[in-house]
Amino acid sequence: MSGAVDPRACLEAIEHLYDYLDGELTPEREAAVKAHLGTCAYCFSLFGFEHAYLRFLEARARAQEIPPALRRRILDTLLEGGAAERP
Amino acid sequence: MSEPQGFPPSFEREALAHLDTVYRVARRLAGNVAEAEDLTQDTMLKAFRAWQQFRPGTNARAWLLTILRNTFINQYRRSGNRPDPVDVHAIEGFTVFRDVQTADPEGAFFAQIVDDEVLRAVDRLPVEFRETLVLADVEGLSYAEIAEVTSVPVGTVKSRLFRGRQLLQKELYEYAVEMGYVKRGSP
Repeated sequence: MSGAVDPRACLEAIEHLYDYLDGELTPEREAAVKAHLGTCAYCFSLFGFEHAYLRFLEARARAQEIPPALRRRILDTLLEGGAAERP
Repeated sequence: MSEPQGFPPSFEREALAHLDTVYRVARRLAGNVAEAEDLTQDTMLKAFRAWQQFRPGTNARAWLLTILRNTFINQYRRSGNRPDPVDVHAIEGFTVFRDVQTADPEGAFFAQIVDDEVLRAVDRLPVEFRETLVLADVEGLSYAEIAEVTSVPVGTVKSRLFRGRQLLQKELYEYAVEMGYVKRGSP
């Protein structure tokens, strides 16, 4: 698939895979990875898979919210406890 | 009951706005629901009492998470009634993709794994990997923010994140294979 691609470019891209997906690369490095993904089917596919994984993780784990009763209890406690601290 | 009154507007806007985040992270750190609820409350109470020390315009979410983490370490960590952590020596990079690249290169099998199973798998991660992964992948903190909250260099955040993500992915993949959501690729 990636016959013409320099394998060192793959290693370089894969080394920065998560930094790239997390938006933590410098603009230059990000551009270099992006350019590589445009020419290498293997890396393109790997990055796509890891991207799907991170999106899935966020969606599944973020679904949990604080139960309303606990929220209520905490707000009440803060107002009582906090008031005692004030001059 | 009426809506709460008496909070400084800045506390409501900058701290109470992150209550879900504090609760979610507490759930992943603490050993059980009751402990997570107490940890959430203790964190918010400490933050409220120290609110005058908070400098407006700085990162309230990271500040709250730092309080949460310190409270957890000082008061809760010893109780440690957690499931056995998975074996960290089993980590190898990107083996799941190599396994599924023919059968399911886009990771469609992930969609069949339900919330509870994902959270259970997260809870089996060793605590350093778990907290780093939750802060990054669930709450969306930057590497620098995670480094601040967990008191380690950015390089450590990155390596923990890599290991945590790969470890969790492998666990979820094994589960998906077991459930028949995806066929194990031929080596």
